[in-house]
Amino acid sequence: MPDALAKRLIFGTLVLLVVIVLSLPTIVVLGASFTAGNIIAFPPEGFSLKWYEKIALAADLRNAFGRSLLVALVCTLIALPAGTLAGLAFAKYRLRFTTVLQTYLLLPFTVPLIGSGIALMLVFGQMRLLGQVWPVGLAACIINLPFMIWAVSSSALGLDPDLEWAAQSCGAPPVSTFLYVTLPAVMPGVISGGLLMFILALNEFLVSLLLTDARTVTLPVQIYNSIRSIITPDLAAVSVVFIAAAAFFVFVLDRLVGLDIFLKSK
Amino acid sequence: MRPTTSRYPLIWRVLDGLEAAAARLWPRRFTRATPVLMLAPSLLLVLLLVIGLVELGDSSLRELDTSTFRLSATWTGANYLKIATSGLYWTVIWKSLFGALVVTALSLILAFPYAYMMVRTRSGLLRKLLLVALFLPFFIGQVVRAYGWLIILGNQGVVNDLLGLVGVAPVRLLYNYPAVLFGLVQYMLPFAVLMLAPALTAIPAELEAAAASLGANWVKTLTRVVLPLARPGLIGAGLVVLTLTLTDFAMPAILGGGSQDFIANAIYDQFFRTSDQGLGSALALVLVAIGSLLVGAVFTLFGAGTLAMGRQR
Repeated sequence: MPDALAKRLIFGTLVLLVVIVLSLPTIVVLGASFTAGNIIAFPPEGFSLKWYEKIALAADLRNAFGRSLLVALVCTLIALPAGTLAGLAFAKYRLRFTTVLQTYLLLPFTVPLIGSGIALMLVFGQMRLLGQVWPVGLAACIINLPFMIWAVSSSALGLDPDLEWAAQSCGAPPVSTFLYVTLPAVMPGVISGGLLMFILALNEFLVSLLLTDARTVTLPVQIYNSIRSIITPDLAAVSVVFIAAAAFFVFVLDRLVGLDIFLKSK
Repeated sequence: MRPTTSRYPLIWRVLDGLEAAAARLWPRRFTRATPVLMLAPSLLLVLLLVIGLVELGDSSLRELDTSTFRLSATWTGANYLKIATSGLYWTVIWKSLFGALVVTALSLILAFPYAYMMVRTRSGLLRKLLLVALFLPFFIGQVVRAYGWLIILGNQGVVNDLLGLVGVAPVRLLYNYPAVLFGLVQYMLPFAVLMLAPALTAIPAELEAAAASLGANWVKTLTRVVLPLARPGLIGAGLVVLTLTLTDFAMPAILGGGSQDFIANAIYDQFFRTSDQGLGSALALVLVAIGSLLVGAVFTLFGAGTLAMGRQR
C-alpha cells in the first residue's frame, strides 16, 4: 500500500531526525571527555582518562558537585512530604475553592523562573539566608513543587477510597491507615515525583545562579562560568557526571514504575 | 510473671505512639479540616514565593537614584514608563515572543510524529528506545546540553571540521538568533512529547482504522481525526513550551553569546550588571504579566486540559 508507505517514510524520517538532535550533544560530550588531546577536536585524538583524573583532583569542581548533591537532597526531602500530602488532598477530597487552590499552587509553574528566582533572592536576602547552600535547595523545591504534586495526584486517581474505609472498619486508626493503605497505593507517584525533584534540583541552573555567590556555586553554575571563557575537555568530563546521573535515573525510573507510565492517558 | 505485652512488637508500639500523638495533636473533631492540614506545607512553601513577588512589585515602583545608588523612598511609575518608551526593551520583548512562537511551532511539529510513533508502535523495543532517547536529554540540564552544542557548532567544532574535510571554509554557526532557537527546540522537545503522548494514547487506534476503511487517506485521517482529538495535548504541550521558551535564560546566554538577549537575560543584567533593582523588578513583572496573560487566556479559552491537578471535572 503506497499510502501507508508514504506515512511511514515521512514519520520515520522526522522521528530519526529528532532522535539524532536529542542525542547528539550527549554523544559528543561523552566522546570529547575521553580525548587524549588538549583541545576538543573531532574525531577525538586517541583515548585517555586524563581529563577524568584532572577533574577528580580539582577541589573546586568536587566541592561544587557536593553542593549540588546537597541542594538536590534538601529539595527532595522537603518536597516528598509536602507534595505527597498536597497531591493526596487534591485526589481524595472534593475541596472548596479547588480552582483557587490549584491556581495558587501552580504559581511556581506559571511564574517565569527568572521571576521566581529573583523573588526568592529578595526574600532570602531579607531573611539573611543568602550565602548558604541549603536555601538553594529550598528554592529548587518551591519552583518545582507542582511536578511533585502532579506526580502524586495522578497516581492517586487510581486509589480506591473503599480501601481506606475497609481498613478503618477493620479497626485501623488514621495513621496506620495512611501508612499501610493510602501511601503504598500512591507509592509509584511518590517515587517518580521524588526522583524528578532530585534530578531537577541537581540540574537546577538559573535559580542557583541567582542565589549563589563565588563560595557557594553549584556544579551547573560552575560549568556555565567556565564555558564562557574557554572550552577545554575537562568540562566535558564534568558534564559526564550529569549524563551518568541522568542515565541512572532513567534506569531506576524504568525499573520502579516503568517509563511507559508517561504514555498513559489520565 | 512477665506481662504478655512483652511480645507486643516494637513497630506496634511505635505506631501506637504515633496514633496517640496524632490523636492528641489533631483530634477527631478537626477531621473536616484535614485536607487543609495536608495542603498546609505546600501552601506555606508557595507563600515564600508570593512574599517575594510582593517585594518585587514594591521595588518595581521605586526608581534608582543614580547619584546615591539607592531606590527612591516613594512610589513612582518611572520604571514602567522607561520600559514602555524605550525601544530597547520592546525589541527584546518582541525577540523573545517571536522566538517563543517559532520554537513552539517547530517543537510541536517535530514532537507530534515522535509521540505518535512512540504510542502506536507495536514494537516494544522501539518504544523503549524512543522513551530512553527522550528521557536521557530530559534529565540532563540545559547547561550541559548547550555545552554539547558549543562543541558541535563552534568555529573549531564538529560541523566545521566535517565541512573542512570537504573543503568548505569555517561557517559561523553560533552566537546568532537561529542558534538560540535551535538550542531551545532541542531543549523543549522532551517536554512537548511528554505532554502530547498521553493525549495520543487516549485516541483509540480503531478510530483511525475506521477512517481509513471509510476511504480517508492518511493525511485526511491525521488532519480530520487524530489532530482534532489530540487538541488537549497539543494545547498543553504548546503552552508549556511557549512559556518555558519565552522566559528562558540559559540558551540565549550560552548559544547567543550575549548578543541575542531574551527578556530573562535583560532582567538578569539589570540586577547584576547595572544594579538597577527597580528597573529589573519592573521588567520581571512585565514578563510575569505576559506569561500569566498567555497561560490565563489559554486556560479560560480551552480549560487546564492536561495541566489540571487531581480530579478531572
